[in-house]
Amino acid sequence: MPMIEVQNLTKRYQDRVAVQSLSFSIAEGEILGFLGPNGAGKSTTMRMLTGFLPPSEGTVRVDGFDVFESPMEVKRRIGYLPETPPLYLEMTVRGYLRFVASLKGVPGRQMAAEVDRVAELTDLKPELGRIIQKLSKGYRQRVGMAQALLGSPRVLILDEPTEGLDPSQRKDVRSLIRGLAGQHTVILSTHVLSEVALTCERALILRRGQRVAHDSIQAIAQTHGGPNGSLEEAFIRLTQDDESSPVNAERPSEAA
Amino acid sequence: MRNTLAIARKELSAYFTTPWAYIVFTMMLGITSFFFVAILQDFSEVQEMVRANGGWAQAERLDPGLADYKNLTDGVVMQLWGVLSVVTLFLAPFLAMRLFAEEKRSRTMELLMTVPVRPVEIVLGKYLGGLGVIGTTLGLTIVFPLTLALFGRAETGSAIEWSTVLLGYGGLLLWGATCMAIGMFLSALTESQMLAAILTFALLLPWMLLRGVARGAEEPLRSILHHLSFDAQLEGLTSGVLDLKALVFFASVILFSLLLTHRAVEAQRWA
Repeated sequence: MPMIEVQNLTKRYQDRVAVQSLSFSIAEGEILGFLGPNGAGKSTTMRMLTGFLPPSEGTVRVDGFDVFESPMEVKRRIGYLPETPPLYLEMTVRGYLRFVASLKGVPGRQMAAEVDRVAELTDLKPELGRIIQKLSKGYRQRVGMAQALLGSPRVLILDEPTEGLDPSQRKDVRSLIRGLAGQHTVILSTHVLSEVALTCERALILRRGQRVAHDSIQAIAQTHGGPNGSLEEAFIRLTQDDESSPVNAERPSEAA
Repeated sequence: MRNTLAIARKELSAYFTTPWAYIVFTMMLGITSFFFVAILQDFSEVQEMVRANGGWAQAERLDPGLADYKNLTDGVVMQLWGVLSVVTLFLAPFLAMRLFAEEKRSRTMELLMTVPVRPVEIVLGKYLGGLGVIGTTLGLTIVFPLTLALFGRAETGSAIEWSTVLLGYGGLLLWGATCMAIGMFLSALTESQMLAAILTFALLLPWMLLRGVARGAEEPLRSILHHLSFDAQLEGLTSGVLDLKALVFFASVILFSLLLTHRAVEAQRWA
């Protein structure tokens, strides 16, 4: 059984369709890269997966539980880093992590150990006593990441986890995410292509709310990447806004 | 329950780690001190006037209204509680405004809505935190009757009749709790704290003054408006009368506000 199963997911707003008939599934332990130009519907899809945003149509199942019918079961299984890290600026890093841990049901006795564990993973240990307000953007992003890891959820949904980090911090986050493979199922979105190539085995490319590719990175690069088989070339070809050749979501070979 | 308490604790510490609550505390004490001194001055003037004119029996025959000035409890503390209910109306919106609006603006609502916590736990946790801070704000004002009890004198018994004072104080706390519940609901409707405070104020003040409108209205509207007005319901409570109807009235307003807040929290995901 796939860990995450998305069927016919659609999000309509009054004036536009943000996500249209999206279907895909992710196996347990897989790391999936979510790609697409800005506004392609990556964040909207992720918000629907976490149960924050209700879909207009379609279903999402996480570990067999429907997001709409058993939201608590799904929320227990998901760690989520939103696009903007959800931080309480007046709190210390430790206070914040303890607060989130208690909401995630981490028992009181394991609290200190759990906070230490995620702080270790995200290199936040020396900063635990600092007020979040005083942290740089890169550190705030890490606190957001640490929060998602609390309670070792089986699924991690990370919306642009490397945004705002410098190259060496990016490297750290990449190796952190790679280390999660196997035990955790991870969906991460980004528009930095090298990021995906280095962290994920598979990628799903969205364009205007529709799926244009979902395959292993290599296969995407080879099928759509032109003579050089580069992922960048494939990305540009797949997501180009070309009115004359409408995208056919189910037959991506035509778009190439 | 555990989640509710965790959220309540977080709310309280947010109030006390930012300067906001201290500003409100200072304003509360400042304004109340000002009125306390003024009321005390009135009180001693009346006392002196009565003494100069041949005692209470004589004075009450001339002006029955003077009976209110006979002792410190009715003459000072109960007057002060009346003033405080108005001060609370002005200050509570500033305490309640951040409860949900701030979470929305700083995008932390997304965290609360994606951890395994039910909306009802979020609403109750936040409300408890809000009660803590309004309770503290009003709690500070207990120094005024305490001062009177220490330095005041009465012809018979203790200077302050504590049962009446505390009953009135309880009514005041209930009123504060009502203001916070309404403020929290309006805070759940917007991202802007300022707008939340203004809306709360714009709802509380006319509601408070409904009694004035009632006077000009025809029956049965007159009675209905009169009973719905905060002012009329508060009158008994803040003067130390245990008024069951008023208790039920305020409890219903609180409950209704909490239900609306819950609806608003659930519904914002559907926007």
